[in-house]
Amino acid sequence: MFLQQLVTGVSVGGIYALLATGYSLIYSLLDFSNWAHGEVAMIGAYTALVVSSTLGLPFFLAVVVGIAGAALFSYLNERVAYRRIRHNNSPNMFLMIAAMGLSTVYQQAANLIFTGKYQMYDFRLPVSTIQIGNTYLGILDMVSLVITAVILIGLIYLINKTQFGLNVRAIASNSYAARVLGVQVDKSIASVFLLAGGLAGVAGVLYGMKYNVFPTMGNVGLKAFIASVIGGLGSVPGAIVGAVLLGIIETLCTAYINSSLRDFFSFALLIVLLLVKPSGLFGVDVQDKA
Amino acid sequence: MAVVLEMKNVEKHFGGVRAIDDFSVTLDQGKIHGLIGPNGAGKTTIFNNITGIYAPNAGKIIFNGQDITGTPPHRVAQLGIGRTFQNIRLFSNLPVLDNVIIASNLDATYNLPQAFFKTAKYREREKYVREKAMNLLEVVGLSDRAGELANSLPYGHQRKLEIARAMALDPKLLLLDEPAAGMNADESAELVSFVQELRERFAITILMIEHHMDVVTNLCDHVTVLNFGKTIATGTPAEVKSNPEVIKAYLGGAD
Repeated sequence: MFLQQLVTGVSVGGIYALLATGYSLIYSLLDFSNWAHGEVAMIGAYTALVVSSTLGLPFFLAVVVGIAGAALFSYLNERVAYRRIRHNNSPNMFLMIAAMGLSTVYQQAANLIFTGKYQMYDFRLPVSTIQIGNTYLGILDMVSLVITAVILIGLIYLINKTQFGLNVRAIASNSYAARVLGVQVDKSIASVFLLAGGLAGVAGVLYGMKYNVFPTMGNVGLKAFIASVIGGLGSVPGAIVGAVLLGIIETLCTAYINSSLRDFFSFALLIVLLLVKPSGLFGVDVQDKA
Repeated sequence: MAVVLEMKNVEKHFGGVRAIDDFSVTLDQGKIHGLIGPNGAGKTTIFNNITGIYAPNAGKIIFNGQDITGTPPHRVAQLGIGRTFQNIRLFSNLPVLDNVIIASNLDATYNLPQAFFKTAKYREREKYVREKAMNLLEVVGLSDRAGELANSLPYGHQRKLEIARAMALDPKLLLLDEPAAGMNADESAELVSFVQELRERFAITILMIEHHMDVVTNLCDHVTVLNFGKTIATGTPAEVKSNPEVIKAYLGGAD
């Protein structure tokens, strides 16, 4: 039973991690919390839904289109809103407020277009479980876990071992110097938004398969925020650890205490951590968590 | 003699303030040119206009015969203008070697999939860039600290790392912003011989902002003196030092 809950927790944490890493990457580059990131996941989930149920595309293809849709909207947020604010030399607060505005607009738009009802993908993984010893593991959880792990390992490799990653880390460290040393800062930032959007798209579809698709599902972005604060804002490995930790705590809380207290424990953890170790598990930057 | 950089009647205003006013200079290949003047005279603004941080309000900047007025910073760097900063701006939480590699790899013609899967071409390129960066660290005497984080280096070494990083662009023109700031007499003397060595080894042209007059006197072939954005004197270090306008600017409390 416990092992089963643990696997579920890690799997849920993996979905959070897909969001939290993108969230953290954007924070590390631009020093603001991209509150529209959860809605990007929602857009990915709906895109896949529409493409598979209305156009009748095979589910795998629909997921690819969904990921592309999420990446596109993430990119558009940067191109249409954030970049202009940056180039005006406005305070970072403006970026966060713009992100909040985008978040609300996307959520309300989804409400208007799709109504508030919960929708399911036509495609379903077998709900059945596989039995190892006397433990039953859900197939969806296992599939989700494997997909997430592969993607996150790829992401860490990309950030730590390639020139693209080095440029991103240079911009995060000192964007002014990076620019003067020939790094195309805006282009790299746009690539990160595409990448983060794609990851959010995967998260959206996996989340939708687990909990259905609905307009306010983007609120899961808040979990990504908690996860990246726990891990240390701006740190990609920190975001992953924070997300998995959060997933496990939530699942165990639901299983052994009370599901309605789940968020209580998530936020309690956040508050305790901010009091005890404000920089998070892997973070260095203590200021300005907004 | 070949002209590397020519600035013609460059002006830059901020609001109503003329940060630089009708500034002109010609830098000849292989020479070291000094920019001096009291604080707020507009020296760093000139660097920012050359490197594309600002676009001038008027005037032209010609680099190797090419008009680079208003060209964005990353492009200016790729064309071959390297720069250091008055307040050190390293990638402080990255390793020393990575600081140099970032600037070494700009002409790379690979795409993301090639980088991700590390094709043979990409690996070859990566090896070349690494070796080039190590060579530059050797030149500035930091090769034994390549793996340390940049912010763990002592101040003087951080200044040298900034120079190595700028040199990774294979610059034809190097802009040094107060390289001797915070250095004592011994360190300044060492810097002088180091910069001379750089010039000989890389046949590079240098424009430097400096307050230490001994460094300026020992290094610069030619000097431009600025005050409140205006050029008040040009000439050899000896010439400008005896110029009454210059003495007035420095002693007249222009700060």
